[in-house]
Amino acid sequence: MTTPALLLRRAPAIAVTAIALAGLAWLSAAPVPLSGAESARLRLSLSARPERIETCRVLSSDELAKLGEHMRQRVECEGKFASYQLRVSVDGSPVHESVVRGAGLRSDRPIYLLEDFSVNPGTRAVHVSFRRREHVEDEDDDSRGQRFGADTGLSMGRAEREDVERARRARAAIPRLLELDTALTFTSGQVIVVTLDPENRALQVLAAAPASR
Amino acid sequence: MRHAERAVRRGLRVLDALCARLYGVAWNPIHQSGTVAVAMLLVLIGTGLYLVLFYRVGSPAESVARIAADPYLGSWMRSLHRYSSDLFIVAAAVHMLRMFAQSRSWGPRTMAWISGLTLLGAGIVCAWTGFVMAWDSFGERLARDGARLLDALPIFSEPLSRIFAGDRPVPSAFFFVNLFAHIGIPLAMGVILWVHVSKVARPVLLPPKRLTWSIIGALTVLSIILPAELGPPANALLVRPSTPMNLFAAWWLPVSERLSPATAWGSMIAAAILLASVPLLTRRRREGPLAASVVDPRLCTGCNQCPQDCPWEAITMVERDDDRPTLVALVDPARCVSCGICAGSCAPMGVGPPGRTGRDQLASLREELVTLRETQPVVAICCSQAPVSHVDALRVRGAHVRPVSCVGNLHSSVVELLIRDGVPGVIVCGCPPRDCLSREGPKWLNERLFNEREAELRERVDRRRVRVATLAPGDLSGTVAAYEAFARHLSALDAPVGEPAVEIDLICDPVPIEADA
Repeated sequence: MTTPALLLRRAPAIAVTAIALAGLAWLSAAPVPLSGAESARLRLSLSARPERIETCRVLSSDELAKLGEHMRQRVECEGKFASYQLRVSVDGSPVHESVVRGAGLRSDRPIYLLEDFSVNPGTRAVHVSFRRREHVEDEDDDSRGQRFGADTGLSMGRAEREDVERARRARAAIPRLLELDTALTFTSGQVIVVTLDPENRALQVLAAAPASR
Repeated sequence: MRHAERAVRRGLRVLDALCARLYGVAWNPIHQSGTVAVAMLLVLIGTGLYLVLFYRVGSPAESVARIAADPYLGSWMRSLHRYSSDLFIVAAAVHMLRMFAQSRSWGPRTMAWISGLTLLGAGIVCAWTGFVMAWDSFGERLARDGARLLDALPIFSEPLSRIFAGDRPVPSAFFFVNLFAHIGIPLAMGVILWVHVSKVARPVLLPPKRLTWSIIGALTVLSIILPAELGPPANALLVRPSTPMNLFAAWWLPVSERLSPATAWGSMIAAAILLASVPLLTRRRREGPLAASVVDPRLCTGCNQCPQDCPWEAITMVERDDDRPTLVALVDPARCVSCGICAGSCAPMGVGPPGRTGRDQLASLREELVTLRETQPVVAICCSQAPVSHVDALRVRGAHVRPVSCVGNLHSSVVELLIRDGVPGVIVCGCPPRDCLSREGPKWLNERLFNEREAELRERVDRRRVRVATLAPGDLSGTVAAYEAFARHLSALDAPVGEPAVEIDLICDPVPIEADA
């Protein structure tokens, strides 16, 4: 059979193969719309440790003497981790309200927060508040961390170290109130993220410059 | 479930017939779906090894964009990688549907069904990780939804979704783990593939060379003409109204995005359980035509032929419990699929499924011989899986049709008896070689009739009166042409002379263990 005749005989197979391959290429990158993409989004995203609320007591010398030398911790603290009331409103209308706790059964793991809210494009008044729910009696008492007596023996300087550690943890934890009250301009499809700035211990806004989609 | 099997079978027959018409029986890709999937896996490994040299976990989107922008090798290599993964999924899905439609999903094939499902699932997951590697808008969308689903499980202390929140760059560690999974999953697939074929003898893993290279060539041409699209780079602070999405690996994504994680997981688990239950839902009673082969130890000569021919490694030779100096065949009913190929391999006709041993075939034939002597038709021995239209076409042209469960089950003595009894000719019509439900029926038939494989057609039989043909759906004209050519060939021969009271050798010499060694 000559080449043109062979090609003619094979034409249907070649045509079907070409169509199948084109179909494969199209289905490999089919433009599938995403529902809700025309609106903008306000995203709340943060991870930080909840504050530890403790009631501390200084052990007496007699009490310390009853303990093994390596266990002589001058200050004994009991406590729990704080929970927070989260409120989000856009243009004065509440869009979200919930109680946020640390992860884990004892709520002692960091708080992981990731919430998306659909927002109509335009300039919107956004209010986010993250408020600790527990009340602490002497929280503004600066002398709280200075009530440890001198240590001796193996516990030399331990109380001081504990004090420093406690202060470090308090600084790393979420403050008792985080609040953001601002006007944000949303474009269609834009995502504006509200997150925690760990340096300033305050909520901050992250947004990409409006780009072509 | 039987209704579903029938419906899928009907659909595949149409596709099968169309492909046979377009590409011919030997090139029909539907018959090669499983091997095409393996071939694509090899292409994926080859192209993937090249691509990984240029991939950077520290700048995934940029490195993939650089590869895609390379007009000489990178662009089409990446596209070939993508299109091969698409074809892998299509071929594996077609293969699975064929096995389901042909009731090859239960009993001894259960392990192959489950491992095949696992291979398809692993292939899809591997494809997801590949799309995430590119870190374009589609990869991000996949990663985001995958993370959302994983976060519903108590696995990670910090929710994965926060990685993609946009308040910090996605860490390189994420892309490293993703790359690790993308390379590790194919390695696991190699092991699963070994399990998949471990219960069959002489597994065929690749399509014929010409078909393999044709498919690779076609995909390469496609890769050059229509390179796989790379979406815009991922941006967590932007929601795009539409994404170029791969619907082979991520057809579920538009649905999943609308479901809660619990509903999405529930649907996936329900689908997985349903698919894994197919062997239970489609199983049949192992009786009648599905009863396992049995061995008559009095007839077994210990020749070791049936274990060699069995496509399922269901027969072993064991020591006898009498004083004969030979081994004896033993069938493992748990591995036997009742294909009957062992019956065609046994010269003394001592093994086979009940009612389908060589002796059973001869006994039923002798009842028909009286009629055949009067009419002297050409006898067409047809596989019971043959399309009805083809069998009817042979009948219309005067052939006496005699069904057989598989041409590999046919004992050569049946052909011998027919020819020696005076039938003008015997045409044995089997399925296309790669579409045989018994895997190796047409192969062994040819060997036994024309190449002296045990149980061979005896020398005294006139080979000019014997022919083998293929009945392929969609190739009715081929079947008719083969039959008519055989009929013309027979008419040019002398008139057949039947022997009175044909005797067939039913006893063979035993094969002692020493002689075999």
